[in-house]
Amino acid sequence: MPLEGLKGRRALVTGAASGIGASIVQRLKHEGIEVLATDIHPAGGLIAADLTDADDVEKLSAQAGTPDFLINVAGGPAAPTRSETLPAIPGAIALEDVKEKDWNAVIAANLTTAFLVCREFAPRMKARRFGRIVNFASIAARRGSDRVGVHYAAAKGGIIGLTKTLALELGPHGITVNAIAPGFIKTPRIAAAEWGNATPAFINSLPLQRAGKPDDIAGVVAMLCSEAGGYVSGATIDVNGGWYMGP
Amino acid sequence: MKVAMVTGAAKPDSIGHEVALRLLKEGMQVSVADLYEEGFPSLRQCTCLRCDVSDPDSVQAAMDAVISRFRRLDVLVNCVGGSWGITRKDLLASPPLGFRGLTNCSLDDWRTIVAANLDSVFYCARAAAPHLKKQGGAVVNVASVAARRGIPPGSEGSSGPYAVAKAGVMGLTRQLALELGPFGVRVNCVAPGVIASGRLKRVMALTGKERGPEGPLATIPMGRVGTVDECAALIVALCTDDTSYMTGVTVDANGASYAA
Repeated sequence: MPLEGLKGRRALVTGAASGIGASIVQRLKHEGIEVLATDIHPAGGLIAADLTDADDVEKLSAQAGTPDFLINVAGGPAAPTRSETLPAIPGAIALEDVKEKDWNAVIAANLTTAFLVCREFAPRMKARRFGRIVNFASIAARRGSDRVGVHYAAAKGGIIGLTKTLALELGPHGITVNAIAPGFIKTPRIAAAEWGNATPAFINSLPLQRAGKPDDIAGVVAMLCSEAGGYVSGATIDVNGGWYMGP
Repeated sequence: MKVAMVTGAAKPDSIGHEVALRLLKEGMQVSVADLYEEGFPSLRQCTCLRCDVSDPDSVQAAMDAVISRFRRLDVLVNCVGGSWGITRKDLLASPPLGFRGLTNCSLDDWRTIVAANLDSVFYCARAAAPHLKKQGGAVVNVASVAARRGIPPGSEGSSGPYAVAKAGVMGLTRQLALELGPFGVRVNCVAPGVIASGRLKRVMALTGKERGPEGPLATIPMGRVGTVDECAALIVALCTDDTSYMTGVTVDANGASYAA
């Protein structure tokens, strides 16, 4: 039995060029959803946009119209730029090695993008009295992290606050707002990082004893957009194989 | 064919009833364990078993019946619960009036409510575990927003012991997830807010429309109660591969009333 309430809807997925975002695009299309996808990294079928830039977000909105589902995946431990759109993910970063420039760039890539995109599209969802917004937090915001650096964990913690606040603000308008906090999801870019090939000891310490796959996340996005997510709002859904089970 | 067991599914206006029907649509063989035999005719495609989930022997007998008939178990959904209507003699009773908090409930209230809401999940999980471990599967428990924030004094139709028992269900979910994860069994939980089930209708018949069992409805940011369909769809999604990398998690479904 397919998930109810998806077929014929429209979705906008940000950060869609690779990894989790690309998997979400495939899954939502498979459910019969018309998907618009965007990324700072130019790739076939994607609208290229730097979502840290309000002008780019406004241009995107002219092309994207009013999506029913807004999936804010854009972000990551390494902030992309217009010249380096898919930067390598660095190794473990200590506090004293986080430069102010990197702090600002990672906060912008992970938190400002979600703020600008929500601010652009929420008014249209309100006018329709329907919408589902799914933001991306991280296990780094839930339990802390010894890998990705304090800037990324702080930005993703900000996503959780943004999500809860928008859930309260947009709830009366028929819009749900939730976050997904992925654990260790072995995308090609993660696998290429210094810490990206997790030790067997780490993997075996997870209750489900495996790394996550992008498809594991895409299924939860589909669930939240479907009838099953109709009364879920303000929640942060931990998808991590049992690494961290919530506050 | 996958085999599922759902507790607390016989009342036609309950979340569990809708879960059982949806698991059938997923192509599973569905067994229902409930005290409310009068509801069994509404579940003709299910195997309905009379079971008192607060009695471990009754739970084991129901599980034995499922295994002897279907030879396997893939999914267990623990929907049974509530602050009233949970023993055979008061199944169809109206909710008792007045707030039963921890400081003014009777010891009998405490024991009955904890038995139906928490002990029951423990008994069912223990009876199911050896069968689930054989090929992997999923367990979904049902807690409540009451487990997150307690029951405000003055609320009708719910109780302090219920809030505590449901918090226990969330802890049980995490513990069971750790124990069963290595066998490919995922264990998750849904914590509903106010849902438009028959139980809510029976409370509102006594209290008027403006108050639900967990406080005034006007305070729900989404401005409405949840539907049985939404809640059942979420429970079923936690039984399927859509949530293949989730375990130990409680998903709140409360219209933004409480964000954990």
